[in-house]
Amino acid sequence: MIREKYVYQLRDTTISVTNSMVESIRFKDITKTSIRVYKDGLIGVAGAIGDYDEDHLTKDAIEALKQRIAYPCEPSINFSKSVDTRKPIISGSQFLKEIEGLLDELARNQPGFSFSNKICMSGERHHIENESGLMLDYSDKAFRMELLFKEKSSANVFDGFFGFEERYYDRKKILEQMNTLLNAYTNPAELPKGDKLPVIFFKNSFPIGKLITDLRGDIFATGGSIFSGRLGKKLFSEDLTLFQTLDPETVINVPFFDAEGVVNQGYRFNFIENGVLKAPYTDKRLAKKFGLANTGSAEAPYDGVPSVSFKNWSMTPSKKTVKELLGGQPGIFILMADGGDFTPDGNYATPVQLAMLFDGEQFIGRLPDLQISGSIYSMLGDGFRGMGSNTVFPFSTEKMIVTEMTVTL
Amino acid sequence: MYTFHKGLYTDVRIETVFETRMTYAGETLEESKVRKYRGAFIRVFDGKLWYYASTSNLDSIQAEIDKLSKMANPNKAINSNPIVLSFEVNKGQYLKFKDNSVTNIPREEKVKLLKSLFPIVQARETIKFWKANYVDAKKTLEIYSSKGTQLEFDVQRVGLSIAMNLAEGDNKFSDHFQRAGIVFSDISDCAAELSQFIDKCEDYLRNAQPITPGKYPVILSPLTAGVFAHESFGHKSESDFMVGDETMKREWAIGTRVGSEILSIADDGTIPGSGYTPFDDEGTKSRTNYLIKDGILAGRLHSASTAAQLEEGVTGNARSINFEYEPIVRMTTTYILPGSQTKEELFSEIQDGFYIETIKHGSGLSMFTIAPSLAYRIRNGKIAEPVKISVISGTVFGTLSEIDGLSNKLELYSFVMGGCGKMEQFPLPVGFGGPYVRVKSMNVQ
Repeated sequence: MIREKYVYQLRDTTISVTNSMVESIRFKDITKTSIRVYKDGLIGVAGAIGDYDEDHLTKDAIEALKQRIAYPCEPSINFSKSVDTRKPIISGSQFLKEIEGLLDELARNQPGFSFSNKICMSGERHHIENESGLMLDYSDKAFRMELLFKEKSSANVFDGFFGFEERYYDRKKILEQMNTLLNAYTNPAELPKGDKLPVIFFKNSFPIGKLITDLRGDIFATGGSIFSGRLGKKLFSEDLTLFQTLDPETVINVPFFDAEGVVNQGYRFNFIENGVLKAPYTDKRLAKKFGLANTGSAEAPYDGVPSVSFKNWSMTPSKKTVKELLGGQPGIFILMADGGDFTPDGNYATPVQLAMLFDGEQFIGRLPDLQISGSIYSMLGDGFRGMGSNTVFPFSTEKMIVTEMTVTL
Repeated sequence: MYTFHKGLYTDVRIETVFETRMTYAGETLEESKVRKYRGAFIRVFDGKLWYYASTSNLDSIQAEIDKLSKMANPNKAINSNPIVLSFEVNKGQYLKFKDNSVTNIPREEKVKLLKSLFPIVQARETIKFWKANYVDAKKTLEIYSSKGTQLEFDVQRVGLSIAMNLAEGDNKFSDHFQRAGIVFSDISDCAAELSQFIDKCEDYLRNAQPITPGKYPVILSPLTAGVFAHESFGHKSESDFMVGDETMKREWAIGTRVGSEILSIADDGTIPGSGYTPFDDEGTKSRTNYLIKDGILAGRLHSASTAAQLEEGVTGNARSINFEYEPIVRMTTTYILPGSQTKEELFSEIQDGFYIETIKHGSGLSMFTIAPSLAYRIRNGKIAEPVKISVISGTVFGTLSEIDGLSNKLELYSFVMGGCGKMEQFPLPVGFGGPYVRVKSMNVQ
């Protein structure tokens, strides 16, 4: 029997903002521990929140073996690595005062808007160890802003959203980035003419829902995916290489290992290489069951068995900047496109609640409410222009993806 | 029980949680766990700022109260602060789920129920992959406040779901069957319903056609109508978005016409289902809150804080997803009230339109959206071929005014997996429903 422990610790100070002012401050310090035992091809798991008795929890995990949950895989072994990417950001004692100052300056810069929701400093630690020589430890800390904005003259619940997560804080750059959008927001812009137009998304907002559902290993392998049976086939643009990445240099508050203690080479696994479908995403059980590569894509609740989950992803950036990818055309920058989805055959459509006309470096003005559509094969295929080599905005380091879609009013 | 500091409002919410989760991928057991834990959320208010902390160590609650109180600025006039005045004071024990508690049902019985449905799924060659889940949860809440609230109540939900991926040739389709309730017997007899649902999925798989995007009349099933009410109007009724916002106060003044005169929408935490909560997480008693009555804006949803700031009464809608979070204004069970037509009459009046039977998800921002799953063409008054629709959408005011038909029977639903999301707090169990609802014109993509 092999015994394994996974510890997750979250330390978080969150400020809630209502009507551009601080309303509350919340402190969170939560530790969740998982004890797993592997025996005779079975797994038993027990979890605890906060303080716990190790022997008692181990006994519970052993007792859980009686559920006979099959786990015909070897636990990860003989690998030790510790990564700590925490940097000083804002000291705890200064955080409230600094955010009050930020909001005050923002309100003065942008008197026509109000702001609400959350700003937080969040630190996570993930640790996994077992009796077979596995010891992986990861600590990180980030400044995260999820702020809604609303024009004071608007009757909407909110008009837009700023979302940043970075390992640094710079009030000046944050305000500069917010002002860039808000100043252009009040300039109306016209939708350019054309059947298909270049559309820009921040990487984390790009609609990859069809990849998430249909590249899941069990659905892929059993024939329920539109990609089933098409491994090795060129389905997308040869400029597209899309991969899972847990690189601690660039990925924030996500451990470099998955819930089963798998660490990929270069922290990365390619799902699509130069347009060719290479692999669905799997955990150990799926990989073994279906004879697929293990992509290190396991997640687990603190008291549960690891199972497959789509993790952080990225693309190989183009050699071209965003401006160069637009090739002189103005682009439609999608800042809020909520509610749409893919049909079973991979066609996507969504209303767009906030889009800005963009020249590759600056917002020109705000476009009217739009609808965008396209198929997964065109968005990542013949319409795909690339992920820009640069970041454009002062504070956020998130990259941008350019693709062609049908855009209508 | 606790020492509360002078000059401050304080409340403590303790949650005792029991949850069961079982997951089968096909016949293979992937997960089987019972989760039991206790946690507490502490709030201190000094009249200007709220201070929050959460802990899983109930012995440290007093220490957390003391720590937060030290950060706050005591206020001699705290008891006359409008927000503090807003808080109800309720006492007593309101435990509904004793004999019928899910904690009393042996695990074997839960497994047996779930497994009884497997042969129905296995018999279908089109179903290439499926996952079955059984979930239950019982939560007992205790609330203590410096104003004198001493309350204990419980909530419970139970459900099963089967997610299916179907394929035949190049055709693919996925959907999930679910049945939810508040006691185990609510979900015990659903084999026939599952079979009929799979029939519909297979028909969709084989026969679904693309559509030409445009504006069309649409009929929403009661399930879809409930999500529509939740997304299109429910979120806009959550008053925290309105605090300090003079434009919204004007546009959304009580008494404003906001929809068709046949339309009434209510939110009610007393209705059994996922949205059932006899008190909210601030200890305010739940009630029926009319949001729209006969097309006129009739009310909003509040916490004590929003009620005070907007000078309206509390409504029992301050909820949190678990002990790690503060209560914010959320819905409970939100539904459209039934009308006077039969279902057949509603359909018979549409020459060319769509019927949305099930959904994948919905959202409500400046416009609302619903991503349909099972959807059908309506031709000459009858349900015709299944169709592939990515999303239907509309502006709130526009769409509510376009409702021109309601059937005469209310159906209420709960989701088994997932729930309502509001920024970081996801998923919150909610209920929803309505009659069949006809909308004259919606964007269909």
